[in-house]
Amino acid sequence: MQKAIFTLMERCVACKSCEIACAVAHSKSGKVATAQFEEPLPRSRVRITSAGAYSFASRCVHCEEAACIAACPTGAMHREGRTGVVAVDEDLCIGCWMCVVTCPFGAVTADPGTAKALKCDLCAARGAAGLGPACVDACPTGAMVYATPDELAGMRRFATAMASVGVVDGVEESVALWRNLKGGRSI
Amino acid sequence: MSDLVIVGNGPAAVAAIERFRSLDSRSRVTLVSKEEVPFYSPCPLAEYVEGSVARERLFLRPASFYDDHGVEFLAGATAVGLDRGALVISRAGAVRSIAWHKLLVATGAVAARPPIEGLEGTAGVFALKTLSDAEGIIALSQRARRAVVIGSGFIGLEAAQALRRLGLDVTLIEALDQVLPQMLDVDLAEIVRSRLEANGVKVLCSALVRAIESEHGAVRAVRLDTGVIAADLVVIATGVRPDLRWLAGSGIATDQGILVDASMATSVPGVWAAGDVAQAPAWDGRHRLIPTWPNAVSMGSIAGVSMAGGDTRHGGTDIVNVVRVFGMAVASFGERGNGESHDFAGAGARRRVLIRDGRISNGQFIGDISGSGALLEMMRKGVDVSRLGDKIARPGVGPAWSMPRPPKPGRHAA
Ligand SMILES: Cc1cc2nc3c(=O)[nH]c(=O)nc-3n(C[C@H](O)[C@H](O)[C@H](O)COP(=O)(O)OP(=O)(O)OC[C@H]3O[C@@H](n4cnc5c(N)ncnc54)[C@H](O)[C@@H]3O)c2cc1C
Ligand code: SF4
Ligand code: SF4
Repeated sequence: MQKAIFTLMERCVACKSCEIACAVAHSKSGKVATAQFEEPLPRSRVRITSAGAYSFASRCVHCEEAACIAACPTGAMHREGRTGVVAVDEDLCIGCWMCVVTCPFGAVTADPGTAKALKCDLCAARGAAGLGPACVDACPTGAMVYATPDELAGMRRFATAMASVGVVDGVEESVALWRNLKGGRSI
Repeated sequence: MSDLVIVGNGPAAVAAIERFRSLDSRSRVTLVSKEEVPFYSPCPLAEYVEGSVARERLFLRPASFYDDHGVEFLAGATAVGLDRGALVISRAGAVRSIAWHKLLVATGAVAARPPIEGLEGTAGVFALKTLSDAEGIIALSQRARRAVVIGSGFIGLEAAQALRRLGLDVTLIEALDQVLPQMLDVDLAEIVRSRLEANGVKVLCSALVRAIESEHGAVRAVRLDTGVIAADLVVIATGVRPDLRWLAGSGIATDQGILVDASMATSVPGVWAAGDVAQAPAWDGRHRLIPTWPNAVSMGSIAGVSMAGGDTRHGGTDIVNVVRVFGMAVASFGERGNGESHDFAGAGARRRVLIRDGRISNGQFIGDISGSGALLEMMRKGVDVSRLGDKIARPGVGPAWSMPRPPKPGRHAA
């Protein structure tokens, strides 16, 4: 089963580490020190948004019935056969912004610099190198989890068990513990 | 005899074929298309005219699409009549009928022809609706110097912009007192007008075209109430409407378009309709004619499932439009003029969201259109946003509020 990014909204402290990591991961140099001087400036595909007392990293959830694909009149917005990731083919994109106005999650950015649609590609380039999404790795509070739905369910069961025997308190701590047990940041 | 006959070859027809074939690989399918070319996207036609999109990019499926999907493709065949069991087509001057068991009408719309004296039969007057329209404009634009675009909807704006970029002298004429009358309130439309003028397009609002003047059969000028504008190329962009004449006598119920239910079924059993030709239940339950690409694709998909015997309903079509005016994004959804308006003004951005009975009824965005899809989703769902006040128009507010509510912070079990 495909991995997805799951959000634990209650953990997000709106520090924007994910936004920076995303922009850097999609920059030419791939390094924070130089990415900030690139032209055009690399842009983040996740955006911290707030809803009352909460904030969270809003980005593409790679819908099964993707409104953006149905709306794209050039074939640029498509689903990658192998990974199921919804992605933009920049050569085909004409910047008509149909995807921006139809995505129910506000997950596509109209990039004025390139006039191409900009969205989360689940860090395809990092994936090729065996790494998980940059935003997940950068989040200092573990507000995002990169896992398959099965792994997430397992994690939830583990968390409930841990909480019930009083080892840890609530989901946040158990996610951290689960991560440590798994020995990696992106699970 | 074909099990399924599809009339039309646009996105509604193609989405229907793809969905139908995923469920039914056996039925015999025939597609009848007025145009000779395979399926193409009309949306980048202005970009094709200005030269930024190559011709082959308009064709969104491989040449083998019809064969791959087991579809007999009758190109250059126009449907001219319909009755129970037989579709009458005209192809290369010959008229014949095709027996059908199931039928999908996906003929789209045609460019409206306003009653202007001298319009018909004058060379150099085009719509921007089909590939052949675009090719006519491209051919003439190489020697034309002065263009007039009649109508300032999004297609008129795209045409004006493309012709300007080709170096023509362009005048845009609008009968109402503002540009983009369907999409924007008059004050926001002023921003668009300034943008057009700053880029060299002359804009005349509240101007009525009386006649097209010609010389040796070719356009020479456009005559208004207030004067005459010399022109050697004219684009008519006064909207689109379905052409339903060939359905007379078929018994199919029509209004402005073909009336369909949420499964895309028409009033006649065995006949479905989808796309610009269909008047389907919209997000608010009212039957509306909303000619957009996303609606054509979603209606076509639903029709494909229905025709294969599946049971599925469309969630309601949407009014969503977006256009770029010399690089500035302009978007809108819903119906304007109905509710209390909440505004946001920022650097290079104006956003307006209308609230009626606590719910979003309309959105208008210039410069920063981010998150507009999330606000549209909230309108569809009828989310109560009254407590947000003016914040609703701020960039970045939409996505968060369209998400499910998170649990309260603090102690809780996983
Ligand atoms: C210049 C331009 C720009 C656009 N930009 C956008 C945009 O940015 N966003 C957006 O949402 N929408 C846009 N649209 C609208 C969008 O293209 C249409 O809503 C969409 O193509 C409708 O699809 P359809 O399948 O219903 O009909 P169409 O695409 O119109 O296809 C109709 C088909 O039916 C065939 N046909 C018609 N009559 C007959 C007949 N009697 N017999 C046989 N065949 C027949 C035609 O040849 C054609 O193949 C644009 C349109 C134009 C012209
Ligand atoms: S961009 Fe939006 S509509 Fe498209 S897959 Fe992502 S969340 Fe879904
Ligand atoms: S902006 Fe690009 S990806 Fe988005 S709908 Fe238009 S062509 Fe497709």
